Amino acid sequence: MTPRAVTGFGVASALGVGRAEFVAGLRAGTLPRTMGTDVQTFDASRYPQLREGARIAEVRGFDATRYLGDKGLRPLDRLTKLLIVSARLALEDAGLKAGGTWADATGRGDGARPWPERVGLVVSNAYGSLEAIHELHRVALLEDARYINPSRFPLTVSNSAAGYASIWEDLRAVNVTVSDGNCGALDAVACADVLLGGERAEALLVGGVEAMSEGLFVALDRLGATGASPAAEPRAGAVLGEGAALAVLETSAAAHARGAQVLAEVIGYGTSFAAPAREASLVHASPEALARAIEAALSDAGVAARDVDVVVSGASGLRAFDSAELGAIGRTLGDEACVVAPKRALGETLGAGGAMGMLSAIAYLRDEARSHVVRGTLRAKVRTALVTSLGYYGNASALVMRAA
Amino acid sequence: MLQRVYVTGVGVVSSVGLGRAAFFAALETGASGITPVASFDASPLGRLYAGEVRAFEPRDHLTRAECRRMGRCSAMALAAARMAVSDANLGPSALAGPRTAVVLGTTMGEAQILEELDEEWIVGGAGAVTRALIPRYGSTLLPIHVARALGAEGMVLTLPAACAAGNYAIGFAADLIRSGRADVVVTGAAELLQELQFSGFVRLAAMAPERCQPFDLNRQGLLLGEGAGILILESEAHAAGREAQPLAEVAGYGLSCDAYHITRPHPDATGSIGAMRGAIARSGIALSDVDFVNAHGTGTRHNDLAEAKVMSEVFGGRRVPISSMKSMLGHCMGAASALEAIGCVFTIQTGVYPPTIGYETPDPECDVDVVANVCRRGKSDVVLNNSLAFGGYNAVTVFARPGVLPAPRPASGKPS
Repeated sequence: MTPRAVTGFGVASALGVGRAEFVAGLRAGTLPRTMGTDVQTFDASRYPQLREGARIAEVRGFDATRYLGDKGLRPLDRLTKLLIVSARLALEDAGLKAGGTWADATGRGDGARPWPERVGLVVSNAYGSLEAIHELHRVALLEDARYINPSRFPLTVSNSAAGYASIWEDLRAVNVTVSDGNCGALDAVACADVLLGGERAEALLVGGVEAMSEGLFVALDRLGATGASPAAEPRAGAVLGEGAALAVLETSAAAHARGAQVLAEVIGYGTSFAAPAREASLVHASPEALARAIEAALSDAGVAARDVDVVVSGASGLRAFDSAELGAIGRTLGDEACVVAPKRALGETLGAGGAMGMLSAIAYLRDEARSHVVRGTLRAKVRTALVTSLGYYGNASALVMRAA
Repeated sequence: MLQRVYVTGVGVVSSVGLGRAAFFAALETGASGITPVASFDASPLGRLYAGEVRAFEPRDHLTRAECRRMGRCSAMALAAARMAVSDANLGPSALAGPRTAVVLGTTMGEAQILEELDEEWIVGGAGAVTRALIPRYGSTLLPIHVARALGAEGMVLTLPAACAAGNYAIGFAADLIRSGRADVVVTGAAELLQELQFSGFVRLAAMAPERCQPFDLNRQGLLLGEGAGILILESEAHAAGREAQPLAEVAGYGLSCDAYHITRPHPDATGSIGAMRGAIARSGIALSDVDFVNAHGTGTRHNDLAEAKVMSEVFGGRRVPISSMKSMLGHCMGAASALEAIGCVFTIQTGVYPPTIGYETPDPECDVDVVANVCRRGKSDVVLNNSLAFGGYNAVTVFARPGVLPAPRPASGKPS
C-alpha cells in the first residue's frame, strides 16, 4: 500500500483516556486495575466467578462529560460515548480540532472545502450495543413490545455509534462501520487506505470500539473464555476488555502540506480466511490464515521478515488462539522474533483489538514503551512493527507499521 | 491500468421470488411480496404487514451441517451466493483461493440469534443460555459462512451500513477489484425480518398499515421486508479469461454523511445531492447519460421529499424516471440497496423500469417522474441506485450496459 501517515490518536482504554495516559500506562507495564469484583458497568454480585478470578478491564471511571460537556449525552449508550470521546481526542491530537472546534485550514488556497467535508470515520465493531438491545428485549419480553422506548431504538442499529459520532464531531465525508470480529480494526485500516486512495476523504479517523456489558460477560463466560468458569484452569481465559481506539490516517502528502506531526506510518496490510477441517466446527483458530495474512502484509509493505523489530500480537490468554497466533508468527518470522501482548493490560477488546494494537505499536516505534514482552527480546531500536489479529472463525489480518 | 468491474451473476432471496428469473419476472409485472407477518405475532403492535420471505427453506440450498451452524440471515446470504455463482456460470470451486473476497452488508445480521439468547438469559438466567448458540451471533459471520462454502480465502468483511449497506458493499467491492486487491468479490447484503426491529419501527410511528406508497400524497409510511441480494463482481481480465458474459458494469459510486440526525435525512439533502453528483462524476459520464434512477423510496414523507429534492437539484429541468422497488418488497433494510442493485441489472438487461405499485395520487411536493403501477420500457444504458440510511448515510452506485462507459480513471481529485 501507499504509506499512510498517522498524525494523531485518541483512545479510551483500561490504561486511560487520551494518548498521554495510554502511553504512560503501556510504558509502566501496568496490569488492569479493574479486576475481581470491582466491576462498574454492571452488577457483578450475581456472578460469584468474578470473586474467584475472572478479570475485566474496563475504562475505569469513564466520564464522557469531562470531554464533551454535559449537554445532549443522555440518549447515548456507553459504546457511543467511548467512540465520540476517542474521536474528539484524536482530532485534537492531530491538530484538526482545538477545544472541540475545527482548526483553520492552512495552506489550502481559496478553493478548499470546509474541514468537515474532508474528514470521515472508519470504525470496527464486533457486537453492537448489546446493552441497548438487551434493554429493549427485556421490555418486549417482560412487559410489552409496545412499550419499548423509541429514543433507545436507534442504538440497536449496528452503525449507530458511528452515525452519532458523525453528528457530534461534524464528520461529513465517508462514515463506515466494519465488522470482522477481532480482525475488524485492522481491516478498517485497509478500508481507510482504499478510501484515501479514492480521494473520498483527506483524513480518516480509523480504528475500533467495543463496550463492556453484562451480556458480553455472560456470553464469553458461558463459553469458558473469561477464565472464570469452574471448568477452566485459572488464567486460561482472556481478560475481557472494552474501549475505543482511533488513529487519524492521512496521505503523507496531506499530512506534510498541513505541517502535521507524524507519529508513525502504516505501510502494509494482509488478510486471509481459512475454513476449519471439520464440517461441524465453527469457532476455530487458524495458524494458516494468520501466516498467510502476515506474508501478504510483509509483501505489501516490501519488508523482509528479519526486519520486523516487534510483533504486537493479539494474544489474550485464550490458550488455543494464543498458541495458533504464536505458531504463525514463529513460522513466518522465526522463533527469535520479539512478540509483545498489550492485551495483558488492555484486555480483549474484540472489535477494537487491532486498533489498540496499532496504537500500542506506535508507542513501541516511538521508543515510549518496552513492556509486555512474551517472547524474544526487544531490539534496542524499533523501526518496524507488525500488528496481528486472529479471529474466532478462521479469519486473520496483519498490518505493518514503521517509525516516522 | 485500472480494471473495469463487471457484474457476471446475481442471486436473490426475496418475497417476490427466489433466483434471477423469478425476481426479474416479478419486477416486470409489479408483483407484491407484502403479506401478513407469519414468523411472529405482530397483532398487539397494531401493524400486520411486511415483505416476508415465505418460500425460503434453508435446507433446499444448504447442507444439513450448514443449516446447523448458521442462522437464517446467513442462510439467506449463502443461498443467494450459491445462486449468483451458478448464474455466473462459475463452477463450485472456481472461487477457491486468495483472489476471491466476500464483502457483505447488513443492518442487524443474525438478530434472531441474539433474540433467542437474550430470551434464554432473561427467562432462565445466565446458566440457561445455550452455549452452542453464542458463536452464531454477530454480523461478522455472514461473509465467513459464504467464504467457507465457496472456498474463498481473501478478505471477509461485513459493512453494517444500515439501509445503504448493499451500496456500501458493492462500492467497496468494486474498489477492491479496481485497485488489484481481488479478482472476484462476492458482494451484496442480507437482512431478516425480526420482531424487535418491527416493534421499533412501529414505535417510531414510521410504519404503514398495509401498503408502502412512495411519492404518493396519501403515503402512510414504510413497510419492512427481508431477503438477500448477492452479486458476483469480477475484474475485466478475470471475466475475459473465462469468456464470461457481463450483465452490467459497475461504474463509480458516491458516499457522504449528513452529520445531522440519526434517523432522518437532512431536509436540504445536501449530502445526498453530493453523493449522487459524486457517483456520476466518478463514472466519467454526463448528467444527460443517466436513463433511470432506482429510488431509495421508503414511502416516508421525510425520505420522499429529500429524494425528490435530490432529483430536481441534480438533474435540473430533466425529469429522469424514478421508481421504488420498496412498493413491492417493503424495506429490506441492509438488503434493500443490494436487491435494488440487482433491480438495476434487471433494467440494463431488459430495458424495463420496474413500477412503483400503489401509486395513486401524485404528491405535488414530490415533482418526480414516477414509473406508476405498470413497468415502462426505455433507454437503459446507465442506471443509478440511490440510497439514504440511518446514521445520515448517503450512498449512490452507478450501473451501466457493458461497453458504454469510458475507461476507468484514477480518482478525480474531488472527494465526494
